[in-house]
Amino acid sequence: MAADKLSTARQRAEEALKSIGVSYSVEEGANFVEFIVDVARLKDAALALKNAGFGTVVSVTATDYPKKNTIKVVYHVTSMIDDEVKGAIIGVGVYLPRIDKPSMPSLTGVWLSAEFMEREVFEFFGVEFEGHPDLKPLLLIPPLAEKRPLRKDFVVREENIYEGVPFSNVG
Amino acid sequence: MAAEEGKVYVGNVDVAARRARDILLGKLKLEDAVDWATSFSLWPVHLTTSCCSTEFAATFGPRFDGEQFGSLPWVSPRQTNLIVIEGTVTRKMACAVRITWEQMPSPKFAIAMGACALDGGLFYNSYNVVRPWEVIPIDIYIPGCPPRPESVARAIVELQRKIRRKHLAGEWVRTGWRPDREPVKPKEDVCSWWRG
Repeated sequence: MAADKLSTARQRAEEALKSIGVSYSVEEGANFVEFIVDVARLKDAALALKNAGFGTVVSVTATDYPKKNTIKVVYHVTSMIDDEVKGAIIGVGVYLPRIDKPSMPSLTGVWLSAEFMEREVFEFFGVEFEGHPDLKPLLLIPPLAEKRPLRKDFVVREENIYEGVPFSNVG
Repeated sequence: MAAEEGKVYVGNVDVAARRARDILLGKLKLEDAVDWATSFSLWPVHLTTSCCSTEFAATFGPRFDGEQFGSLPWVSPRQTNLIVIEGTVTRKMACAVRITWEQMPSPKFAIAMGACALDGGLFYNSYNVVRPWEVIPIDIYIPGCPPRPESVARAIVELQRKIRRKHLAGEWVRTGWRPDREPVKPKEDVCSWWRG
């Protein structure tokens, strides 16, 4: 059942992306499909997917690949109302260069629910979203957010169980 | 007998005052009275730092009825004298904990609840977790992940015993200082990021 819905959703997403002429590559696993597009065409692809019925963002997440020197940002989208694809999750993502402040367009204008999740990606990975209405740290204190805690080169010193780590000694 | 105009009848005030003086000053030391009164009015402030607060809420629900110990969660830190750290304290929350603690009137007490409040627990060795004993002075620790509501009730009873045994509240009121320990000051300003 779920596999049927996923294949339907994939078909629909591929048609939507082909209709506007966006080139994409597919990364798929056991229960997910991700469409990797170019950064310049990301907003068009997102609009096409939204018009195809994928109206809700369930997660915005990033992955750090230090060996490949890239950061991958993926938006996972789904539909809450369309019975044919309900529950199937489609990803649309980009690869960014792994520099200090990689930049990409914000999709808050397309999916409003992406706003807080983009702030989270910003504070944990340092990805800057152009056009985001309120880009500031969400969960972390600003001095800690500047250290990009979820990048692979962030190191937490091992704690002495008897003394503990001083309040500011991280990174 | 009809009441005379212009007079208020309140009973024999002299006798009542003499009796009250005997009870409060003659037979019972005032410090003991303060200890007794404080230990049965430990009102925790509503400060939810983490997920242990659900167990804390259950403690004051109908089944476990924490109110039978004279303890009632209250909204404003200005009218409370107990703070219960419910679980993990993140770096951002440490500022809120310290501000709440400084707003509370003395004598005041603190209970740390859950494994995260002891040494980090599940989030041990994390970049974003603060141990609450670095921020405020803790009186009672409750282990468990999360602790049962019975444990929270037991902690309140133990705190009552501690107050009455060591005369914490009475000494605090008499001398303006806590008798058994120095006040905890954070080694670093936990709100520096917020003040900018």
